[in-house]
Amino acid sequence: MRWVVYWSLFVASFKMFVRNRAALFFSLFVPLLIMLIFGVLNFGGTTKISLGLVDQAGNAASHALVSALEANPSFDVTPGDRAGELAELKQGHRDLVLVIPAGYQGPLTSVSSGLVAFSNRSKPEQAQIGGLLLNAVVGQLLAGGGAGSAAPLVAVQPLAGRSLGYIDFLVPGILGLTLMQLGLFSVSFGFVQLKRTGALRRLFATPTSPAYFLAAQVTSRLIIGLAQVVVLLGVGLWFGLHLVGSVPLLLAISLLGSIIFLAIGFSIAGWAKNEDQAAPVANLVSLPMTFLSGVFFSRDAMPAFLRTVTDYLPLTYLNHALRSVINDGVGVGAISGDLLGMAVWAAIAFLVAVRLFKWE
Amino acid sequence: MTGTIVAAHDLRKRYGDLQAVDGVSFEIAEREVFGILGPNGAGKTTTLEMIEGMRTIDSGAAVVDGIDVSQDPRGVKARIGIQLQASSFFDELNLVELLELFGHLYDRKVDAMGLLADVELTEKARSQVRTLSGGQKQRFSIAAALVNEPRVLFLDEPTTGLDPQARRHLWGLVRQIRDRGHTVILTTHYMEEAEELCDRVAIMDAGRIIALDKPLALIDALLGRGFSKERVERLANLEDVFIDLTGHTLRED
Repeated sequence: MRWVVYWSLFVASFKMFVRNRAALFFSLFVPLLIMLIFGVLNFGGTTKISLGLVDQAGNAASHALVSALEANPSFDVTPGDRAGELAELKQGHRDLVLVIPAGYQGPLTSVSSGLVAFSNRSKPEQAQIGGLLLNAVVGQLLAGGGAGSAAPLVAVQPLAGRSLGYIDFLVPGILGLTLMQLGLFSVSFGFVQLKRTGALRRLFATPTSPAYFLAAQVTSRLIIGLAQVVVLLGVGLWFGLHLVGSVPLLLAISLLGSIIFLAIGFSIAGWAKNEDQAAPVANLVSLPMTFLSGVFFSRDAMPAFLRTVTDYLPLTYLNHALRSVINDGVGVGAISGDLLGMAVWAAIAFLVAVRLFKWE
Repeated sequence: MTGTIVAAHDLRKRYGDLQAVDGVSFEIAEREVFGILGPNGAGKTTTLEMIEGMRTIDSGAAVVDGIDVSQDPRGVKARIGIQLQASSFFDELNLVELLELFGHLYDRKVDAMGLLADVELTEKARSQVRTLSGGQKQRFSIAAALVNEPRVLFLDEPTTGLDPQARRHLWGLVRQIRDRGHTVILTTHYMEEAEELCDRVAIMDAGRIIALDKPLALIDALLGRGFSKERVERLANLEDVFIDLTGHTLRED
């Protein structure tokens, strides 16, 4: 190993990437733009109040209240048990959780009806609006339309919880997408171009083994990928991202993800003779994952069979791992399944790259 | 002339059904300018690439500066400089960065500005290769082939596509390089170039060398066989007119 050779090729690879406007545009500016557009427009954010409904009474009066709430267009009602719904509230997935106590007999003006709505303290607007709306709905059920009832019918009790916005869903997805694009496109285009123009052959004319150049290309892109993760996380935080997990763990996950996509990129670059061959294959690999691996939208909305199939995509593993660490702050143990899936993909992609790779 | 620096013995290379090189042998002396001529597909480039260690040799042997290419291609590459036909470099790096990078590939620190001065590209030091004209690209390509002070410089069609001024300029550069003690092997399609530059030429056709001698000796041999041109040779040709009208000095296009 001649370190000077490796280092000079690494610096050259780095400069080549940074000075290539198209590469910079697609790998850094486009993800930022996507984040800006989706973040500002707040796609996926809903104007409805997400209400968890716990019916412990199960009688005619409680059913009347449940139907009234479900019929109300301002609420997005999810029924469940108390512990489960309160957990969802704390995770930031519910704005309010209404508990109908056992023995509930309908709203009363004289004594407390026993209705309690738990709110998320970090979502004060939703708590306030939701509380008012709940009181209005319950009031409708009062004899006489609730006129004259001074005291609130529903007691709103704030709990500590997170406020997860769309940005919290989006940022991990964009990180995964960016690492995939960097690996797939910068390699398959950049490297194929060096191959086609003969720049790679010119390296062959020197006594240096081309493996040095390959190592320099791979490592420079790994570093660039990590730098992108840091920049995008920073921008995400500025947009209000709640980053609760460990940043070193995020970087480690990103590194593993980059290795998969770089290996796929080098498989394509090694096989293709020119950019026209590389482009459709790179798109064929990246497009399905862009939409099926949970970058922009939750995979929960997908049909079950499609979800089962796409569970095994490398970007699905990467996005899930990144999202778990960023949103829930989990450690290695909780994402070991994702890491295993990624390791298997990395091994497969590496073997394919070795088999398909041709220098000329 | 001193000792032999490049020796090819019965080199052969086959691509599928095509016998691209079919038993080529020659010896080149130190500080010689040796030309390989021939039509497209004659096997010139393949012959060069086998000697350079850029292609495997099917049979036969090539020895450069005492090193057998098949045994130690890297050892040969360390001692030679190669200008590839239509060689290209990394687009995003400037000339100085490229020369320093190539120096490192030979474990050398290079005087990039000195090399650029030798090929008259000093003012382009911070430019990228893609901004250079055809002649400038070829000169840079030669500078890059000189970073390791090679014993032998291989030039594959160095003047193809250049205008007459740029071609003459490159001839001057090749002579300078020869005068500094390098051996030069070049391929060309241009007979006047071979006549101007080469101490000896090998003419190849269909993978074989069909003639090998000094240019004048080849011409004398032809005349000796009773050859005469149908037209009377003029004392000047159209290229002489062109050069006379547009000047001998190099113009950057």
